[in-house]
Amino acid sequence: MTLAIETHALGKRYGAVTAVNDLSLRVAEGEIYAFLGLNGAGKTTTIRMLLGMIKPTAGYASVFNTRVRLGSQEPWSQVGYLVEIPYAYPELSVYENLEVARRLHPGTPPGAVSQMIERLGLAAYADRRAGTLSQGNAQRLGIAKALLHEPRLLILDEPANGLDPAGIVEIRELLRELAYQKDVTVFMSSHILAEVARLAGRIGIIHQGRLLRELEVDELEGERRKRLLLQVDNPEAARSALSAEGYALENLTDGKLQVSDPKAIEHPERIATLLVGANTPPKMLVVEQEDLEDYFLRLVGMDGDQV
Amino acid sequence: MSFLGDLIWIESRKAWRSRIPLISALGFLIMPIASAFLIFVIKNPQLARQLGLVSAKANILVSAADWPAYLKLVAEACAMGGFFLFCLITSWTFGREFADHTVKDLLAVPVPRLSLLLAKFFVVTIWSIALAVEIYLVSMVVGWLLRLDGGTSSALLDGSIILLIAVALAIVSVTPFAFLASVGRGYLLPLGIVVLIAIVSNLVAVAGWGDYFPWSVAGMVTQGEPLAPVSYVIVLLTGLVGILLTYLWWMRADQSR
Repeated sequence: MTLAIETHALGKRYGAVTAVNDLSLRVAEGEIYAFLGLNGAGKTTTIRMLLGMIKPTAGYASVFNTRVRLGSQEPWSQVGYLVEIPYAYPELSVYENLEVARRLHPGTPPGAVSQMIERLGLAAYADRRAGTLSQGNAQRLGIAKALLHEPRLLILDEPANGLDPAGIVEIRELLRELAYQKDVTVFMSSHILAEVARLAGRIGIIHQGRLLRELEVDELEGERRKRLLLQVDNPEAARSALSAEGYALENLTDGKLQVSDPKAIEHPERIATLLVGANTPPKMLVVEQEDLEDYFLRLVGMDGDQV
Repeated sequence: MSFLGDLIWIESRKAWRSRIPLISALGFLIMPIASAFLIFVIKNPQLARQLGLVSAKANILVSAADWPAYLKLVAEACAMGGFFLFCLITSWTFGREFADHTVKDLLAVPVPRLSLLLAKFFVVTIWSIALAVEIYLVSMVVGWLLRLDGGTSSALLDGSIILLIAVALAIVSVTPFAFLASVGRGYLLPLGIVVLIAIVSNLVAVAGWGDYFPWSVAGMVTQGEPLAPVSYVIVLLTGLVGILLTYLWWMRADQSR
């Protein structure tokens, strides 16, 4: 397996503040890896260390088996990136900004600029000064700069920022196409699990500078909690009927009742039968799966009430 | 090394599109125009009497209304004004990458950072030289329009050489401001320091140590002060140290913004 990114016990401290701690990651070539965390979790600091913009205080990072060093020339011909909010030279046009990016990557053919403008839907803005672009189009320009020299690895910090829903879908499809058809590795950060779950193959969750866990996107389904929600006219009768069969019933603040027992979740019809037998038939009976946002917050130790 | 041409293209385009070259070219014109005005006041005693204070000032600054005095005045104005302007250009060229948050696009690219910096220094130097040429040509035309006396070829040559040396020294001495703009991540630090230097350079000149203060040397040349070679060496070293510090900072400092 060829690794596009490898970090070994990577860490960064700013005085007494630890931004990233003991981070070890391995991202294989061709993989789409999502790096998920709340604001301030250490995502951008990690990305800056991967790109040789800041020096780790512990450990190291390698990109395509090249140790990343501050100020080095390697391996950037193979890497495209977008860090935080994409800024461009405000007095230059979209075309000129891309021309600047092209010339910063020797060997990129002149025709690449026009092609990228077409591909990212920026043709109508090609001659417009970058300083006058909307946030969404500025984001497109940032992504265009990252893709211009056809890199083998894309490191994208919150690529969906500022894009409208159609733009998000468009960029997602573009990244998927690059990964599946051209074997481009994508390492993208985000703070929205639902957004990356649609694209990534693997997800790394970072919190307070530490990698909490890594999981395949297929594992998400099994990881998310399920519960049986029900509503009855006589909660006490329902409670005693279900308790007699070994099911624990919890009260929720909105007047609904909840059963977390896996047997009840697998066979809700048995619960319905018990309730009918106790003469308090269910007015509502539904199996609900924890949404991705709640799952993510639970993983980082914050339930909805704390947010 | 073909990418060096590309990097110079990039820096030139950024500068040109900013319109700052045009503004600096127009701003710098004030030097020969103000000098010409003072000469004009001296040449017209009746007007001088009506102007009062300006006339007194002109009499202090200008010894005579002729070519040597005029060129000396232009050189003095360029040594000080040029220094400020070249500082501004240098601070903008380096500091704008931080002020506009575009520096991150220059950091993980497959070209040496030294080349990026050299391209910036190259454009700053060419830009400064172009301004100096502009001032020289405009000064000549204005001097000719004023019909000044003493326009012998040797007087013109001497005046031109002093102007050239003063401007060259000012250009060389501003490289530390590239470092200050980088460390300060914008324009504020270098522009604050330039004000401080203006004050300090006057003080050290008065104290008699101007020969050893790199930012006083250009002004002393225009005053006709005899300078030892060490003064020129100090200016040259200042220029080289400025480039070296800028390079070391760009190579070693964390870029977390």
